[in-house]
Amino acid sequence: FQVRVVLKYRHCDGNLCIKVTDDVACLLYRTDQAQDVKKIEKFHSQLMRLMVAKESRSSTMETD
Amino acid sequence: FLTELTRLFQKCRTSGSVFITLKKYDGRTKPVPRKGHAESFEPADNKCLLRATDGKKKISTVVSSKEVNKFQMAYSNLLRANMDGLKKKDKKSKNKKSKATQ
Repeated sequence: FQVRVVLKYRHCDGNLCIKVTDDVACLLYRTDQAQDVKKIEKFHSQLMRLMVAKESRSSTMETD
Repeated sequence: FLTELTRLFQKCRTSGSVFITLKKYDGRTKPVPRKGHAESFEPADNKCLLRATDGKKKISTVVSSKEVNKFQMAYSNLLRANMDGLKKKDKKSKNKKSKATQ
């Protein structure tokens, strides 16, 4: 039906998990590294921008 | 919303998770009727729904393309400031693979 992004942060366990699914495919990324926080945060922002953009296509895809 | 989110992160520092969900939002406020009679409004395309919860308390907000710039600056800072409990990499292992991850 739709794409959704879920971000899960556990301070006590010290890890961060991001999931993107369109109900057909599901991508999951888990990390415990501080250097990934910045990447995940940037990625999350990109996804947010894609969602509010009116154009149906966007070329700002990250291949990380 | 941002203040509440900050508080949510701070509350969970000693236990539990923070879940954040991001979904594209089309402005629908009523559930889709079962026997289709056509929806009587225009779905809007340029908004997204952002939710946060600690498993007990839930907060949410709608972000539109006009607000996204301002919201993102504050929101990114918030994420980075609060997600600081992760392991830091050693200096030694950084040199070999640093190019590949960029």
